[in-house]
Amino acid sequence: MPTSTRAHFDKALQRLHESVLQLGSRARRAVANGLAALTDGDAELAREVIATDVEINRLRYDIEFECYSLLATEQPVAGDMRTIVAALTVVGDLERIADHGKKVARTYLRLLTDPRPMDLGEIPTLGALSLSMLDRALAAFATHDVATAEAVCRSDDQADAQYKRTFNAIVAAMVEDPQRISAGTHLLQIAHELERVADRATNVAERVIYTVTGELIELNI
Amino acid sequence: MALPSLAIPHRDAGDTNGVYAIEARDLNVYYGNFRAVKDINLKVHRRQITAFIGPSGCGKSTLLRAFNRMNELIPNARASGKVLFQGQNIYDPRVDPVEVRRRIGMVFQKPNPFPKSIYENVAWGARINGYLGNMDALVEQSLRRAALWDEVKDKLHQSGLSLSGGQQQRLCIARAIAVRPEIILMDEPASALDPIATLKIEELMRELSEEYTIIIVTHNMQQAARVSDFTAFLLMDEDRAGVLVEYGPTRQIFTRPKDKRTEDYITGRFG
Ligand SMILES: Nc1ncnc2c1ncn2[C@@H]1O[C@H](COP(=O)(O)OP(=O)(O)OP(=O)(O)O)[C@@H](O)[C@H]1O
Ligand SMILES: [Mg+2]
Repeated sequence: MPTSTRAHFDKALQRLHESVLQLGSRARRAVANGLAALTDGDAELAREVIATDVEINRLRYDIEFECYSLLATEQPVAGDMRTIVAALTVVGDLERIADHGKKVARTYLRLLTDPRPMDLGEIPTLGALSLSMLDRALAAFATHDVATAEAVCRSDDQADAQYKRTFNAIVAAMVEDPQRISAGTHLLQIAHELERVADRATNVAERVIYTVTGELIELNI
Repeated sequence: MALPSLAIPHRDAGDTNGVYAIEARDLNVYYGNFRAVKDINLKVHRRQITAFIGPSGCGKSTLLRAFNRMNELIPNARASGKVLFQGQNIYDPRVDPVEVRRRIGMVFQKPNPFPKSIYENVAWGARINGYLGNMDALVEQSLRRAALWDEVKDKLHQSGLSLSGGQQQRLCIARAIAVRPEIILMDEPASALDPIATLKIEELMRELSEEYTIIIVTHNMQQAARVSDFTAFLLMDEDRAGVLVEYGPTRQIFTRPKDKRTEDYITGRFG
């Protein structure tokens, strides 16, 4: 931006960017803590994740409302328009990512009441992969980094493959010992939530590419 | 249907009998020694609305006037290059500029009805062109097309100057279309109007574009975005001559401009 003929609007866009990143870091924490509750056996942490979800939802609606106001009052076009509409879809994805973290926490609490606990198997690996994709997607968003965003989109295949392995291992364990069916079903649910985190991280990365280049491509097929 | 005075085939007809209605080729316009518009190459799509945008003084009006040789009415102004229209160069010395201006009409920024009746304002052009058909029918049809008929049908013999600004502008549009032009050039046709009158003119342009090719100059970026199908962005170069920076579908220009200068201008970050 050469001169600040639109300093007021530029500041509003900057604030919007920071709010989205703040939502991103809260969503990331929800997933990381949900996963930590599961791997460390920390029920307190799980309850905290569930409790903070309402704040995350509020933050998302605040940002969404800010986007509508900017669309209505500033009539943004070109890069400005792309920044705002991308923020709108990104906050939706981030809020849902936090929901996945919450569901991991909630499912973990259900798992606690199960008389026949079960080994987590590949779940921590899947969780780490999803988290790392989310981290990279948020970093790409923060710095408008198309190369990193593209790399995130490419790693989605890896996450899908890891999900399949995790899924198959849990199903095999259930087949081997039908007493594990209840716990196994909960673990399948957790694996599914984590796989969705990776999908949504890819969505975020796609919006980074759109914001910067104007190209709308679905890389996450 | 080419009229005799224009029927001078150009050896390179371009594409102006097909998708394009008019085309500028290496067009330059000078005021004395000053080059106001430089090396313009632009193909205007038939029955579409094309908007010229750019900062004040970049040559939008000058370029617009070059499309119907209106610049020639300004002392010292001259053009070089070609403007192809229906396969003919309108600057060919054998072409009659009056005929060019009938085929390519113009509506100005300030509504300029004649101090005559509403009826006469519309009938005037057709009359001097020797129109022999039913004049009442032509006046009504033109006023209807200009979305003004219902408002004036009971006072056709009142002065055109008695109308509101927005109505006067629609009257000028009715006057322009009464001579059955193929192209209508509009230089900031709504800049003197309130928002509702502006939207009426924009709606009217949309309707007219089913039959006519329209080129509009506008300072209002939202108007260009709303009303046009194609947008051309002009900017002054280091010699203050207007150059064409980017030209493309309006939806592309306003969502994904290719040139950084276009982006800066349409997002209001022009230095
Ligand atoms: N009749 C004239 N005689 C001399 N120079 C002129 C004349 N009309 C315009 N110019 C010059 O030509 C250049 C382009 O003017 P033009 O009116 O085409 O710009 P524009 O883009 O339509 O500007 P605006 O948005 O302010 O209407 C300017 O530098 C202007 O000063
Ligand atoms: Mg002008």
